[in-house]
Amino acid sequence: MLITILILQIIFVPLISPLAIGFIKKIKAKLQNRRGASIFQPYKDLWKLLHKDEVISSDASWIFKVSPYIIFSITVIVGASIPLFSSVLINFYTTDILVIVYLLSIGTFFLALSGMDTGNSFGGFGSSREMTISAMAEGGLIFSLLTMAIISGTTNLFEISNIGLFAFSKSILSVILAFIAFFIVLLAENGRFPYDNPDTHLELTMIHEAMILEYSGKKLALMEWAGANKFIIFTSLCANIFFPFGIAQSVSLDALSIGIIVLIIKIIIFCLIIGFLESKMSKFRFFRLPDLLIVSFIISIVAIGLINQL
Amino acid sequence: MKEKIQKYNLPKNLEVSFDNNVASFEVPVSQIKELVNNLYKNFNLSLKLVTATDEREEDGCFRIWYILGSPKDNIVIIPFIKLKDTIEFPSLSLDIHEIIDYERKIQTFFGLKPIGHHNARSIILHENWPKNLFPLRKDFNWQTKPPIAVNNTYHFQKVKGEGIYEISVGPIHAGIIEPGHFRFSVAGESIMLLEPRLGFTHKGSEKLFEVLPLAEKIHLSEKISGDSSFSHSLAFCQALEQLSDTNVPKRALCLRVIYSELERLANHFGDIGAIMLDTGFNFGGAQGSRLRENIMQINERITGSRFLRGVNIVGGVITDISEQENNILTDDLSNIAEDFSEIVDIVDNNASLLNRLEGTGVITFETAKDCGVIGVAGKAIGISSDARVNYPYAMYNELEFDEIATEKSGDVYARFRVRIKEVRSSIKIIQNALSKLPTGNINTHNSDISFKKNAFAVSVVEGWRGDIVYFVKTDSCGNISRVAPRDASFTNWAVLKDAGYDNVVPDFPLINKSFNLSYSGNDL
Repeated sequence: MLITILILQIIFVPLISPLAIGFIKKIKAKLQNRRGASIFQPYKDLWKLLHKDEVISSDASWIFKVSPYIIFSITVIVGASIPLFSSVLINFYTTDILVIVYLLSIGTFFLALSGMDTGNSFGGFGSSREMTISAMAEGGLIFSLLTMAIISGTTNLFEISNIGLFAFSKSILSVILAFIAFFIVLLAENGRFPYDNPDTHLELTMIHEAMILEYSGKKLALMEWAGANKFIIFTSLCANIFFPFGIAQSVSLDALSIGIIVLIIKIIIFCLIIGFLESKMSKFRFFRLPDLLIVSFIISIVAIGLINQL
Repeated sequence: MKEKIQKYNLPKNLEVSFDNNVASFEVPVSQIKELVNNLYKNFNLSLKLVTATDEREEDGCFRIWYILGSPKDNIVIIPFIKLKDTIEFPSLSLDIHEIIDYERKIQTFFGLKPIGHHNARSIILHENWPKNLFPLRKDFNWQTKPPIAVNNTYHFQKVKGEGIYEISVGPIHAGIIEPGHFRFSVAGESIMLLEPRLGFTHKGSEKLFEVLPLAEKIHLSEKISGDSSFSHSLAFCQALEQLSDTNVPKRALCLRVIYSELERLANHFGDIGAIMLDTGFNFGGAQGSRLRENIMQINERITGSRFLRGVNIVGGVITDISEQENNILTDDLSNIAEDFSEIVDIVDNNASLLNRLEGTGVITFETAKDCGVIGVAGKAIGISSDARVNYPYAMYNELEFDEIATEKSGDVYARFRVRIKEVRSSIKIIQNALSKLPTGNINTHNSDISFKKNAFAVSVVEGWRGDIVYFVKTDSCGNISRVAPRDASFTNWAVLKDAGYDNVVPDFPLINKSFNLSYSGNDL
């Protein structure tokens, strides 16, 4: 049974991530009075890209060629190391907060390097923007997770998600603040509004898309897929760390099915929120973005200060 | 006419000839600088077009025409100079900033040298075009396939300094838009210098105007800038009507107003949506394209063409609006107006959208004046110029026209607001015109049009971007020997670099969209 859970845990993120992206697109289309593409379109796109030839710039080095594999594997590893629908895999070595955060940073590092590698001017400023945002987002990310770690007395994500609603209710204000801080980082790290417009065709405004502009075919598919995985990683973290209910605490089939259903419902709710946000507002000007990230950092510091030590 | 001209204190020795609303006179080369300067600066005439004609076969000279408009009197004043046995003419570029590109164009296409011009780079034709081949000279055969020149280079302006980084964008872009190259010199994210490099859609239209048969000339004018098909063909047909003394029936004049305004509506809706889309406000973007599509479908229903192509002919239009269609259209427009108000209300309450639009891409009044900015961009900084009011054509002088829509701030938001105001006034104009639609023919049938000999005509039409000017000249046999169209894009491209200066790079697409200039209309 544990093996099944382990396999499920590993394939869960890559399996449903394209669906979440397709779902957000569908919500946005509906809110704009459009019919929109099927929610399964991202799978078809990946399938198409995986069967296409690639064009690689003659100036590209090995970094450009290995980056997609590194970035994609990292998202799979991280996806397998965070609490998704069950909290029984506590003994994992990679389930610590800091390991997760800095594994994701390695992904960002390679993404930025591959953006600059071809010498394309778009890749250059894409990477520069990504690093600016990612450096500023790191504070909010660590400190919001740290708030939860202090409340539950452990930095192991599975244990944090296992602690139950009762322990949280004592420091409810901190949890709410930390959640807001984490949500701001979620938007920044995944290139969603108001940081980046994932649907734009305007090269000059791009951040994430500018870095992967030179990729095509299979490598592009991996990059896109990795981006979708990262989104599911952040939403699942958000769902299970800040709203820790419904997660399976035993190895029974009932508990597991409930765990999966609850997680999917939570992800759907986050997709709805993001889809709604992206239809209601414009992107911020680039120089206003750091303000928002500083707010995230300060909120999470305040959250730590407000933890009820009883 | 004569009285109107008198106040300009023209030198006594000039022989002024009058034709319709055009006053033209030859000026000695030595006096042209002073005269044009005087008219432009002291009498505030607006420069509409500067162009040349090659008349070496008939007259043994080149002529250069300085077409100036007097907005208050609805007259066009055309001083011209003759260049006999010389290819040099005095440049006015140091006195009149907006003349720079016109003179560059004369230099590139006619091989005439503006003496004293500080920017001698060729314009529109690229470095692979041979240097000593001038396509608008009469001795250049339009079917010539010149060899590719290899050793020419185009020098972009350079910014030097620590941390200056050059970004080259285009000519091929990620979206389905026209090709154009932009060279940014940036420090961090802010733009130090922006240089647009156009000419990638050069089709030789001006040369084609000289060789195509008449009916195809009108089709060609519709393709100068596809989104202004009707305004361009209207301007061209009006010039031809002046040259052939054709009377246009009243009903046709009224229909022309309706079609022009439909074209304006479609494009303004599209732009309003696209500006919102470029800030990432998807809801607004979707609504804009929906409204545009509504108008395009109306166009197709009435005329059979979504872009109103093939509607204008010399002497009128070819598609009518029936009594029944009149009622349907009036209702449709009321519905669209209502829809539009709802969208504008949502926009006015969206703080994140307004934050992106306000203060972005500002041009100052002085810059706009110097560059001769016209149309939407000009109105957004308070330059109240509109051909529908200043040079009334078709039936505009008989319709109710609100004051010219202007704003003061000169930023993206101002250009956005001008479009919103113009949409509202356009809807009113169409409804007004529909209620006053005169009865009668929709064109004067004239199978054998003949033009006056050795004559020329200027026609000004307010397209949705700004005024469109056509200068048409006939030779001694009454054949059309030169057509010089000028789209509003040609003058407004010059101000884009000032609008971009000191903004952040990610805001540039938004600024560019707020102008939405035509590449094809510029490159011809």
